Amino acid sequence: MTAIAVNQFAQSITCHAWGPDHSMVAFCPNNNEVHIYRLSQDKWEKVHVLEKHDQIVSGIDWSPRSNRIVTASHDRNSYVWNLEGSEWVPTLVILRLNRAALCVQWSPKENKFAVGSGAKTVCICYYEQENNWWVSKLIRKRHDSSVTSVAWHPNNILLATTSADGKCRIFSTFIKGVDTKDSRTGPSSDSKFGEQIVQLDLSFSWAFGVKWSPSGDTLAYVGHNSMIYFVDEIGPSPLAQNVAFRDLPLRDVLFVSERMVIGVGFDCNPMVFAADQRGIWSFIRFLGERKTISSGSKYGSQFSEAFGKLYGQSKHGLSNDAVEPSRSRGGIHDNCINCILPLRRSGISTVMRFSTSGLDGKVVIWDLENQADLSEYL
Amino acid sequence: MASTEGFVEADNAEAIITRIEHKSRKIESLLKQSKPVEALKTALEGSPPKTRDERCKSANWIVVHRALMAIKDVEGLLSSLDAEYYDILMKYLYRGLSTGDRPTCDQCLRIHEKLTERAGLGCILRCLADTVNTV
Repeated sequence: MTAIAVNQFAQSITCHAWGPDHSMVAFCPNNNEVHIYRLSQDKWEKVHVLEKHDQIVSGIDWSPRSNRIVTASHDRNSYVWNLEGSEWVPTLVILRLNRAALCVQWSPKENKFAVGSGAKTVCICYYEQENNWWVSKLIRKRHDSSVTSVAWHPNNILLATTSADGKCRIFSTFIKGVDTKDSRTGPSSDSKFGEQIVQLDLSFSWAFGVKWSPSGDTLAYVGHNSMIYFVDEIGPSPLAQNVAFRDLPLRDVLFVSERMVIGVGFDCNPMVFAADQRGIWSFIRFLGERKTISSGSKYGSQFSEAFGKLYGQSKHGLSNDAVEPSRSRGGIHDNCINCILPLRRSGISTVMRFSTSGLDGKVVIWDLENQADLSEYL
Repeated sequence: MASTEGFVEADNAEAIITRIEHKSRKIESLLKQSKPVEALKTALEGSPPKTRDERCKSANWIVVHRALMAIKDVEGLLSSLDAEYYDILMKYLYRGLSTGDRPTCDQCLRIHEKLTERAGLGCILRCLADTVNTV
């Protein structure tokens, strides 16, 4: 069994994040609050509710070393939360946006965070000691639509973004006084703040869920057209691979090693992609239980009725009767999975455990131990 | 709409039309030899999605349609058709369904059902999501 814990925390979850030692989880139950649960004696207890946002919280990230939480919301604001005593104290970050903030992530060194927004911009925020506040610097250019996802390169300088205009872009986020010269390496060596390193134009529809591999050599992102893209040699002439798969589109991805990626999305079941010896990526299999394929419930509940209509009257009754509501897919998640996070053990770059959350309100922890056919890619 | 970079310009359209006419003759001869699957493959090869020229698209649709309607054994077709053709075939099935012509729609639905079983919902998604490379 690959799913080792299934927790139904809410009706629906927009995003979640883990505390430094994975004993606490923060998530947004599809409203303006962030709930923090702690595991004590095998039971999850609600320990904090962070109430400051006015609208849905669209992004949460919890920094592992400095133990700070950053949240981004449709109310166009971000808060950085510090634990003082037993209380989480918010600090408002003025993003200067005129549209919703959609995603947020701490940089690897935890001295900056990036916020993607519906205002076609990315905010890079950093702490200013003398004024005791977080300053937001905007990358205004380039994006032709909402920024759906952001991902930091391990070098703390490069930032990859995906956008609803279908493109994936990589920017330099070098900030004087925050970043040091020696941290600049590779293609970002002499680029200023906001300079675009490369624009990847592979998808013809919305792009989501961008991530770097642990070394930062490979980039993966997904399109809303049931495609996943792998890019090597980021720079002036990147090498791209497009992988089409037979099921519904993905929303987010996670590198568990240099050669293996887990994709999650509308198919409600994590998909495993891996690169072979020659570096060619392909779909391997689903991670959850196999879907039972019988003639009646081929496409699950959402589709059977529509398909019945499409294929004519005679089949209509049959396909409707054969499908039970909602559970017919036989998976662990019952609805779109929109968030996947690593549960890293310190010092090990390969991720053996990860968690997913989705519109069904569950947070599921998965373990890749004892998966004989996958171990060669780890 | 003005053609953008990377799209075939109008004077290239004549060349495409000529190629399609040539393809059409080849398909007719394949159909006479009762090789409908080969005919459909030929029709799908070199389809001109990367042009905004509607004449080219229509001309190619006519040859694809001709080959499509000759298909009797759908299972046989799909097992001998390479997976790389699935996406482009799906696009033409939707074009066929959009005509509203009864026999065409019946045939397209028949193939659509079998193709979806084989190529999955992802194939439909790619076809619907792609608003740039239309057929």
